[in-house]
Amino acid sequence: MSAVVDDELWSAIGDPIRRTMIDLLLADGPGTATSLSRRLPVTRQAVSKHLAVLDRVGLIHAEPAGRERHYQVDEAQLARAVAQLSTVGATWDARLRRIKRIAETIERHRTNTQGG
Amino acid sequence: MEQGTIERDIHVNASPEVVFEVVSQPEHMREWWPDDARFESVAGAPGELVWRDADTGETKTVALAVVEVDPPKRFSFRWCFTEPDRSGQALFVTFDLVPSGAGTLIRMTETGFRELGWEVAALEEQYRDHENGWDHYMPRLGEYVARLVATP
Repeated sequence: MSAVVDDELWSAIGDPIRRTMIDLLLADGPGTATSLSRRLPVTRQAVSKHLAVLDRVGLIHAEPAGRERHYQVDEAQLARAVAQLSTVGATWDARLRRIKRIAETIERHRTNTQGG
Repeated sequence: MEQGTIERDIHVNASPEVVFEVVSQPEHMREWWPDDARFESVAGAPGELVWRDADTGETKTVALAVVEVDPPKRFSFRWCFTEPDRSGQALFVTFDLVPSGAGTLIRMTETGFRELGWEVAALEEQYRDHENGWDHYMPRLGEYVARLVATP
């Protein structure tokens, strides 16, 4: 079921450390657990666990490189995740714009009434 | 704790007191979100959001529960419960209001997507048309605000 995959996908990118890892891999190109752990406030072991989560949902792919594995971002899968997140986010953008318009209309009306 | 989270900031040229009223009072909420909102703006109060299909007249009701009411700083609630008695998993929405210049910064966060999965995204999609139709309702707003400030 694609719904299950989507849930895991959301969960995978819901974690700030994992989002930072994706950012680093996008900015610097393929990396290893060791290279990523040098740039993050977590241990190499923790980085390996996060990489496994990202790998499982297809957000990154690994290739053997000597004793380590080189990870790189699957941009198609990332684009898919971002599109889904945007759908929900966009509805809040619309609501917040309405909140802004209503509050500012009330504020202007009150100011005019007081000032008039 | 790992949760899918949406965060949004928006600056509003109105005082935190005015913004707080708009985000936390059901008579305002129904102007920016559902067709009807029924709840007491009191911590722990149960409530409902109602959407009406303009063509069929059918309604869809979603349970809500107020969590925190701290004027003019914070209003939060849960909605989209997995159980009909407002238990189980839910989405958790928080509005934090921060004075900013002569106005207010609204920081909205919605968490809980990881637990709920993507059903919510599908639900939201259904309401797109309603939201896109907002411009249709805007002309009524002037009248609405006039009534509002005329009330002592």
